[in-house]
Amino acid sequence: MSNKLPLQGIRVINFGWVWAGPVVGQTLGFLGAEVLKIESRARVDMTRNLPPFAEGIANPDRSLSNHACWAGNGSVTIDLKHAEGRALALRLIAESDVVIENFGPGVMERLGFGYEALRAVREDIVLFSMPAAGLYGPLEHVRTYGLSLTSLTGLDSLVGYKDGPPIPVENAYSDPFAGIFGAFAILTALRNRRRTGQGQHIDFSQQEAVMQMVGPAYMDYLFNGRSGTPRGNEHPTATMAPHGVFPCRGDDRWIAIAVASDAEWMALIEIMDRPDWACDPALVTTAGRLRAIGEIHDAIAAWTCDFEVRALAERLQRAGVAATPVLRVADLLDDPHYRARGTFIEVTHPLGFRETIYGPYVKMSRSPAAVRPGPAMGQDNDHAFLEILKLPADEYQRLKDSRVIY
Amino acid sequence: MNDSKQTQGTGALAGLRILDFGQGVSAPHCARLFADYGADVIKIEPRHGDAARSSGPYPGDQPHPERSGLFFFHNTNKRGVTCDVSHPEGRALFLDLVRRADVLIENNLPAQMRAWGLDYPTLAAINPHLVMISITPFGQTGPYSEWHGQDLNAYHLSGASARYCGRPGEMPLEHGTFSADYFGSVAAAAWGLAAVMGREMVGGGQQVDVSCAEAIAAAFVGGQNIGGLAQDGRWDSRTGVGMPLGAPATILPCKNGHVWMLALEPGQWKGLCKVMGDPEWASLEMFNDMYTRAQNADLIYGLMSDWLMAHDKMEIMEKCQAAGCPVTAVFTIEEAARHRHLQARHYFVDIEHPELGRLHCLGAPFKLPASPGGPRTPAPLLGEHNREVFAGLLGRTAAELDHLGAIGAI
Repeated sequence: MSNKLPLQGIRVINFGWVWAGPVVGQTLGFLGAEVLKIESRARVDMTRNLPPFAEGIANPDRSLSNHACWAGNGSVTIDLKHAEGRALALRLIAESDVVIENFGPGVMERLGFGYEALRAVREDIVLFSMPAAGLYGPLEHVRTYGLSLTSLTGLDSLVGYKDGPPIPVENAYSDPFAGIFGAFAILTALRNRRRTGQGQHIDFSQQEAVMQMVGPAYMDYLFNGRSGTPRGNEHPTATMAPHGVFPCRGDDRWIAIAVASDAEWMALIEIMDRPDWACDPALVTTAGRLRAIGEIHDAIAAWTCDFEVRALAERLQRAGVAATPVLRVADLLDDPHYRARGTFIEVTHPLGFRETIYGPYVKMSRSPAAVRPGPAMGQDNDHAFLEILKLPADEYQRLKDSRVIY
Repeated sequence: MNDSKQTQGTGALAGLRILDFGQGVSAPHCARLFADYGADVIKIEPRHGDAARSSGPYPGDQPHPERSGLFFFHNTNKRGVTCDVSHPEGRALFLDLVRRADVLIENNLPAQMRAWGLDYPTLAAINPHLVMISITPFGQTGPYSEWHGQDLNAYHLSGASARYCGRPGEMPLEHGTFSADYFGSVAAAAWGLAAVMGREMVGGGQQVDVSCAEAIAAAFVGGQNIGGLAQDGRWDSRTGVGMPLGAPATILPCKNGHVWMLALEPGQWKGLCKVMGDPEWASLEMFNDMYTRAQNADLIYGLMSDWLMAHDKMEIMEKCQAAGCPVTAVFTIEEAARHRHLQARHYFVDIEHPELGRLHCLGAPFKLPASPGGPRTPAPLLGEHNREVFAGLLGRTAAELDHLGAIGAI
């Protein structure tokens, strides 16, 4: 084990807000970077006001979901409406390696933080921008929410019950996805800087990054002119059968079963006690099972509904069949696997209360990730202004009193 | 082997040598991200090839191991070799590659890697600088680590489907693609690249253990749900309606498809009303704010339907966007592929493949102006670079390679 982390020595200024931008900073923070999120009490981020709150007390410093999603980002409060505030932010950028922002195109320029302005204070800065559809092009100013961003990629058109309309995924999958992906983009740019000394302005279009997820469906369009449609839980490229979610005993209990090979099929039907299927030449190949997938799925659903989900999953797993319980949110904290891996952990917030957030979901054998709780507003102000910028104490106090630092 | 030793090539990650010992989606996609930005990626396939070669889509739906779209998409820019690691001489060849690599990316079951004698401690002993990125549905430790799993299993184990996708009382839904594999692969790329860049800092290589299910359970589902569950025992399930706390906030049908109808803030709602021609019903008090609109969502969606069914989705999107309302068309794959925005941004690249001809492919996932990336060369044919890699990199003679082929090691 190392007492150092891979990104130690990298400083990041994060203007990211809501969800995607903060996750970029969080990812780098897990890996040892010092991340300072810039925010202000003059315009509190909407996610700080999302319930539920720690101990039920509504307050922007007590939103439980916000702390989980922002954990690892420090917090420095600067009111960017003040010219002095913007100047302070620029001075912090001059002492940093990376700047993250997820505003719409043009906002950074209006704040005086365009790439050229940042380069003027820090020649090799890496500026990371992640607008919905990129920094230029006909959809440059398209407005989306995270949960609708996926509609611009074709992905939403593939989600739903078979032969039915698209069903909305009820939260912004693309936010944490693009957030983590964005950290990779920043690291590639940092590696390039290490080789060449050159910084750059990363144009990370969330549309383009997330659209990589429809690559397999895109290839079908390219080859065969087909635009995919919702297929329930069937395999995205129709390569496995059965491949579905089936009801089990109890309220909203389901099991996911995927059969990838003929051997797994034989194992499944032995447990199901369906010797008739074993002898049916139409079902011995994947191609045959795909043709009969509707009937097979109906029969499996009629069989699974009498079983307790976990016992059935374990029994199928012992026979080599890929079967897992469909977990509900309520199951996550007690699930033995997530408990064993420390997926969710209790931490003490800087304001003193205990709360549960997610920990490092990737395990590093030599340099286990750093866990920091979600930031209290302004928790890193002393560090930023007194240690990094070395402001005289009276100047620091004046800036606080005049609500530039606020 | 180290960052400082440059191999040929340009791009942000030039000089890094990566071995892709994965199949299907998760590990190959992770390796492709390194390949996109200039790393030298050598794909090591079993003699019968990556399982993705036997998965569609194929041109004309005719299965052919060199014509799989799934394989092509995740393996551009790579060199490809075959190697049977269960054969002693194949394993020796594999270890020889590991000695010269910065990163090994794989997605085999942990028990399988142990059976081959290719677990991390064994590989670290011959190359202490190796970063081994292991991407599996459930991870290297924990009670499910030996379980069999596909993308479907990982996704549904994360809580994402039961919470966010499908109608109540009906089955929770998958995400229309290899959603867990993709989530795991980008997490693996980010954490793995950090491990590579930080090798000097932390004192050597390490194993990066990625569970696709866990990454989603934590960063997508956990972030927004776990605090409330732990503190108050409170949790929610899928509603099937999009966003239940505000309206309009769902996918609705229109004349030629669907739109993501969103108008929550007062200005957005006003903008939408204007685009709809300020219908009389919209001024009713119950539709004043997003919360009361949500209580009357069914009513509101019904009242909007005549207008929606009379209009084209791209027109709806354009007019609503112009009115400050964040409505988007639900693009089909074809509409996304042909959209002028993506064309104007040169998102697509043309690549020539010996079996598939000229392909108009999805390009780089993000733009690095100072060190551009993206697919340039096609996915390798099975064993295409055996000679180039085993002779050129490992120094094996032609006679040795003939022997290795004859005994089935390559």
